[in-house]
Amino acid sequence: MSYSGMVVDLLSGLAVSVEIFVLTLAVALPLGLVVALGRMSKSPVVSGLFRLYISVVRGTPLMLQIIFVYFAPYFMFGMPLASYPRLLATVIAFGLNYGAYFAEIYRGGILSIDPGQREAAAALGFPRTTTFMRIILPQVVKRVIPAVGNEVITLVKDTSLAFTIAVTEMFTIARQLSSSNTTMAPLVAAGVFYYVFNFAVAWAMERIEKRLSYYD
Amino acid sequence: MRNILIAAAALAVLAGCSQRSTFTDGRFVVGFDADFPPYGFKEGSEYKGFDLDLARAVCAAKGWEFVANPINWDAKDMELNSGAIDCIWNGFTIQGREKAYTWSSPYVDNSQVVLVKAGSPIKTLADLAGKIVGVQTDTPVMKALSKGGDHEKLGATFAKLIVEPNYNQAVNELAAGAVDAVAMDVGVAKRKMSDLPGKFELLGEIVMTETYGIGFKLGNEELRDQVEAELRKLFADGTAAKIAEQYGIEKSALILK
Repeated sequence: MSYSGMVVDLLSGLAVSVEIFVLTLAVALPLGLVVALGRMSKSPVVSGLFRLYISVVRGTPLMLQIIFVYFAPYFMFGMPLASYPRLLATVIAFGLNYGAYFAEIYRGGILSIDPGQREAAAALGFPRTTTFMRIILPQVVKRVIPAVGNEVITLVKDTSLAFTIAVTEMFTIARQLSSSNTTMAPLVAAGVFYYVFNFAVAWAMERIEKRLSYYD
Repeated sequence: MRNILIAAAALAVLAGCSQRSTFTDGRFVVGFDADFPPYGFKEGSEYKGFDLDLARAVCAAKGWEFVANPINWDAKDMELNSGAIDCIWNGFTIQGREKAYTWSSPYVDNSQVVLVKAGSPIKTLADLAGKIVGVQTDTPVMKALSKGGDHEKLGATFAKLIVEPNYNQAVNELAAGAVDAVAMDVGVAKRKMSDLPGKFELLGEIVMTETYGIGFKLGNEELRDQVEAELRKLFADGTAAKIAEQYGIEKSALILK
């Protein structure tokens, strides 16, 4: 096996991993906010529904959720899967899963803001949406960055679970190369790629944190 | 949960436009385990192997588009029954699964052998008593050696039967000494021995004989018959033997007449 060939193959797998990673964040980061607000809703029905969603997502393995999202349309509704891209199912499953975790992180951030600020804003006549968007949310973003960073880094490594429904991301390709060439080298190389990927993510998170610390 | 249902409903709407029973669109999707050389594996940027090359030749003859779809072996039944793949064509053992699929005729004879380290004191099946033996998950040999299987007596003599996710890992563990022997397909075992010369040897005795077939969704005789007719031509005109030679599979193993 040529090493350059192996690296090219792994990079093609890395492209799929990055795709899952980016699309999942695009779904989960905003979804988390919706879920956090829903969970904090004053209506017991709305908050109960979101509470149930978070509870189910956190209480079952991501691997099972991926299988469910991909196969449920066929086994529950008879919908043929030929026109249902595996990557789409992967992103839905990852998005729903990470959205629940982000929601709890955001909720913690929102609850950590002194209620006195909200009262002061109300006394000054700010509408509730403005209070949330202009006063509460910017502070929440700053506070949740480290916890969100943790999840984001976990996500990089979790992309390898996509093979549950046969999405050939980097780890799968590494394992296949390892099988067909009877060598551990592709697995070691994949490990290095994951580390570099996460190193870049950690660096980016640090940059964002620094940029947001405009009062320090 | 609610979000999942909404997503599923949205997908049902999206997918409604292009329904497909079994490949009316001319794409023949072959499901296989890419951790399974020489029958299906990755080389360079493409998937190849004895079974995949046969499948490719069948598609060329029928004018179908060939799609090699590596799957998660544990999810193979869901993949097949949901129509995500059209068949499982991957050194797929018939014995023990006769009633679970609509099968082609057996085309490869594949004995189950025991691989040990070169120079190992294990020489016969009886020597496996008190040893740790590895098998791949959900394979007929695993079922045969487990409780209630055809060879449960032999299995009961082992210190432990370790179920590995794939053969590559089993062989790595054998090399590392984590297991004393691996019960596996002779084709894969010989390939490992030629990849790593001098490291492993086979026991003279075999555990059991088994044969490979192509597995289709239960009741899909129509597709099975079309594929089998082409497969018979490939065996009759010597194409299959040529492909077998290319992957180091012995001619004597080819049993479709």
